[in-house]
Amino acid sequence: MATESPSSVRKVVVQLKATADAPILKQNKFKIPGNDKFVKVIDFLRRQLHRETVFVYINSAFSPNPDELIIDLFNNFGVDGKLLVNYACSVAWG
Amino acid sequence: MDLFSWDGTLSYKEFAVAAAPTFVHKWERLNSSSPSWIWMEGYLSLDNFCLLPSSHQESLFDANLIQKEVNEEETIDDDDATLVHSNKSYDGAHYYDFHIVYSASYRVPALYFRGYCCDGRPLMLNEIEKDLPSCSAKVLLESKWSFITLEEHPYMNRPWYKLHPCGTSEWMKLLFLSDAVMAKNGLAIDQYLVSWFSVVGQVVGLRTPIKMVKSIHDN
Repeated sequence: MATESPSSVRKVVVQLKATADAPILKQNKFKIPGNDKFVKVIDFLRRQLHRETVFVYINSAFSPNPDELIIDLFNNFGVDGKLLVNYACSVAWG
Repeated sequence: MDLFSWDGTLSYKEFAVAAAPTFVHKWERLNSSSPSWIWMEGYLSLDNFCLLPSSHQESLFDANLIQKEVNEEETIDDDDATLVHSNKSYDGAHYYDFHIVYSASYRVPALYFRGYCCDGRPLMLNEIEKDLPSCSAKVLLESKWSFITLEEHPYMNRPWYKLHPCGTSEWMKLLFLSDAVMAKNGLAIDQYLVSWFSVVGQVVGLRTPIKMVKSIHDN
């Protein structure tokens, strides 16, 4: 990580969108270093929502692996200069 | 099909004729380092998949850092995670057979699997759990999204572990409807297994390459 040039640490705007029964966050847009992993977004949502489990997915009918890089997701699925991340807390069971 | 009344399920015919071939084809083309999925007249099979326990250690990040403008993490954290588990890597590789079987009662795919050592001894569930990726498995196994049961494999007629599919249609609805509404391109049922596996594969440490998903829109 230390060997990478500053230009590679590009910030990505991540917008969090509540779906299903999930509560809406007061602040729903963040800048995250592109070389961070997606797990950071997942952990952040878990802490904010006080839930052990959050279902996190992006607008390509896809739930990214937690160790996927934010910049890779942005480059592939970013729209209008941001990465839209959907989250849901739980669904009906059985 | 009316998008808003779609219940997150698919028929066996859609599974066998549309979703399974698309998944097999994309996996083979875009995930060539992995063995291929094979259609076995009713279900999909990926056998002898080697999981090295040490390859699944995720480095833990502090979520507090997410809002910090300047992020100067110490890389030593990563090394700690590797060191802790390095002694275990001599246990030898574990091999897994994964089968994707259509569940007629839930009208969704279900993942069956079994694990064994290189000498053929079957792995018990507590051994399998150690192989699962820590980060995603913890979340998924403790949650209502999925859980593991021992059930008779409908084709093999032996007990296999199964990720229970009763929550599947609900989260598939979330995954698919947001996308379909966004893209206004209708319901791409042939992409069902690709999307489904992006969730289910995480439980067992099988990654769905971004390109497999990306090509949904490129096609």
